[in-house]
Amino acid sequence: MDSKTIFLAVIPVVILGAVVYYLLGQGTSFLYTTQPLPDVTIENAGFKNGQIIAYIRNTGQDTVTIAQADINDRPLEALIKPSNVLPRLASAQVIMKYTWIEGVPYEIGITTSDGTRFAYEVEAAAPTPEPNFEQLSYFAILGSYVGIVPVMIGLLWFPFMSRISKHWYNFFLSLTAGLLVFLAVDALKESFEFTENIAGAFRGEVLIVTATMATILVLMMFTNRITTKTATTGVLEVKTKQLYGLSLSYMVAIGIGLHNLGEGLAIGAAVALGALALSKFLVIGFTIHNTTEGLAIIAPIAKQKARIMHLLALGLIAGAPTIAGTWIGGFTYMPVASIVFLAVGAGAIFQVVYAIFNWMNKEMDSKITAPHNIAGFLLGLAMMYLTGLLVAV
Amino acid sequence: MQKVKPILTRVVIVAVLAVMIATAAVIATVSNSAQDDSEGVLLSPFGNDVKKFSIDPASFLRQFNYGTVSVQPDGTTLREFTLITQDVQIEVAPGVYWDAWTYNGTIPGPTLRVTEGDRVRVTLINQADRQNTIHFHSIHPADVDGVLYQVEPNGSFVYEFTAGPFGLFLYHSHAEPVSERFNRGMYGVLIIDPKTPRPPADEMVMVMNGYDTDFDKENNFYSVNGVAFYYMKNPILIKAGQLVRVYLVNVLEFDQINTFHLHGNVFKLYGTGTSLTDYEITDLVRLSQAERAVLEFTYNYPGPYMFQAHQTEFVDKGWTGMFHVVESGSYMPDGGEVMKHG
Repeated sequence: MDSKTIFLAVIPVVILGAVVYYLLGQGTSFLYTTQPLPDVTIENAGFKNGQIIAYIRNTGQDTVTIAQADINDRPLEALIKPSNVLPRLASAQVIMKYTWIEGVPYEIGITTSDGTRFAYEVEAAAPTPEPNFEQLSYFAILGSYVGIVPVMIGLLWFPFMSRISKHWYNFFLSLTAGLLVFLAVDALKESFEFTENIAGAFRGEVLIVTATMATILVLMMFTNRITTKTATTGVLEVKTKQLYGLSLSYMVAIGIGLHNLGEGLAIGAAVALGALALSKFLVIGFTIHNTTEGLAIIAPIAKQKARIMHLLALGLIAGAPTIAGTWIGGFTYMPVASIVFLAVGAGAIFQVVYAIFNWMNKEMDSKITAPHNIAGFLLGLAMMYLTGLLVAV
Repeated sequence: MQKVKPILTRVVIVAVLAVMIATAAVIATVSNSAQDDSEGVLLSPFGNDVKKFSIDPASFLRQFNYGTVSVQPDGTTLREFTLITQDVQIEVAPGVYWDAWTYNGTIPGPTLRVTEGDRVRVTLINQADRQNTIHFHSIHPADVDGVLYQVEPNGSFVYEFTAGPFGLFLYHSHAEPVSERFNRGMYGVLIIDPKTPRPPADEMVMVMNGYDTDFDKENNFYSVNGVAFYYMKNPILIKAGQLVRVYLVNVLEFDQINTFHLHGNVFKLYGTGTSLTDYEITDLVRLSQAERAVLEFTYNYPGPYMFQAHQTEFVDKGWTGMFHVVESGSYMPDGGEVMKHG
């Protein structure tokens, strides 16, 4: 590009800047006929010893001043940090002395200087987990049971899968695709649920669509590169297939890992919010539900020799994020990040499903529309649906 | 020939474990740094002792307006008042600024005090950009009832009537919607004294009201004389052994039944103040919207005594206050001067 071309690109930007400068000035005060309504979002509540802490954010268009805080409609003395004046999108924590009772619902209210009250319901008060060694290991063990253990068990289907006929193998690949579609939809559902917790200004729904699409496209670009690269190196057909199968397995593992991260986030957050009574039944449910994920991971490499280290790595990639998820969900509050994680997970899984169909089509000479493949796909969905009944949180 | 080396998977496993440890470390530090040491700002429903509000419940309490007095040819007393409707912002609870509609810029409007048989002339100047009236309770002709004739913006109207009977009354705007005018603050007290005055006393006016500041048809704050919790931080000083007379008016909108309960004492309850002899002795009175009562009591023992609504929700949201009873003869700071009724 020569300097003239660059100059032509810059002109509209300069004019835009001038217009914005003019609009910010006094000359256009006629544009602001009404005061924008205040909007404060109470994003989260923390329950500590003799304290309730509300985490709030100004999600309106203008600076707001917080005037009062209340619990169950009863105004009380509160300390607001860092300030009671919140610029647009700024956050603050409101600390209230309160002898709360575990398991009891509370409503936290914040009143702005114009008298508008914003409320936040807590279903059941529960002590907010502190990130000490004890709590970290509690979540780690929980995460292992619902994440790593079942995935590893699922991987034990590897010898079985390597012995079955090509016909049955395609059936199981389709079944895997079914499982994965269910997980992706589940992740999307979870992420859309999370959008209720964040301010409208962050546009959670748009964020989900964007992150999902971006993930699909970027992953497609990378897999295209891998496959074209292997094709041009002129290696033996068998080896190419093996390498592709292995990378497919890793992609499945990464996609499932992201999904499990989301699952961990939900579990951790639910424990922190006191919304989840962690019954044995629920843990068992997750264990059964997630075992099917192991099957999905090994399906692409079942027709080749695989090193035990690969299997271990695949299992860890898919399962360990559950632990990280419970930590993040339990100790921090990052709804926007959680939404992005879940959406990326969904995108990754959709891309993997596409890759599996492609793989079946090109390498296995088997179309997804073949009756036994459709049966496998539907069975995959059904398995996830039925085992999912065990984990209705 | 391409081959996936085992070392790669070892790297993956190590990487996964490293990421996990890093996550744990980050979470531990993030949640520690979240407890920042900035001092912050104290939000308080009570305000504080030095806080000045845009209206002054302390002086309103014992402020009686007798009007501009003249004697008519037939010998009767004429009392002239002017009420101006004004839209102002009033701090109804610490930090909460309410877009109020008022008579003369305050909630409640000025307390008008006349004697039975007086000629009363009240000029309304409507500076608000909406219709308004003054609707007085008590006896008067239909044309000054403040309902049929609505005063337009920038218009004015003169309400003239002969005061009677004696008792405790109120006035409020009777333009539609009346409920919104109650919520916004367009009311005040009208005291019609008997020709033979009541016994001398420390007299005060208490108007029980509320504010639905976010328009969900439920009150966010309740108060006596305009500011939630005001008399908690600014107790009303009274003297032991001194007869206290409270002119109590309920103007609460939305949940219109209100109560007044006195601690450590009982009072003589004169319903509507229309009798000087009939009373009930009690410690609690229940009033519906626009209902009034005159209360008389004397404290014998010095100390702080609470007065409150006996609806705990109202108490929580501001309808509670304190009397501070001091030994008779002790110094009373500003606002504590004993008013003899005239």
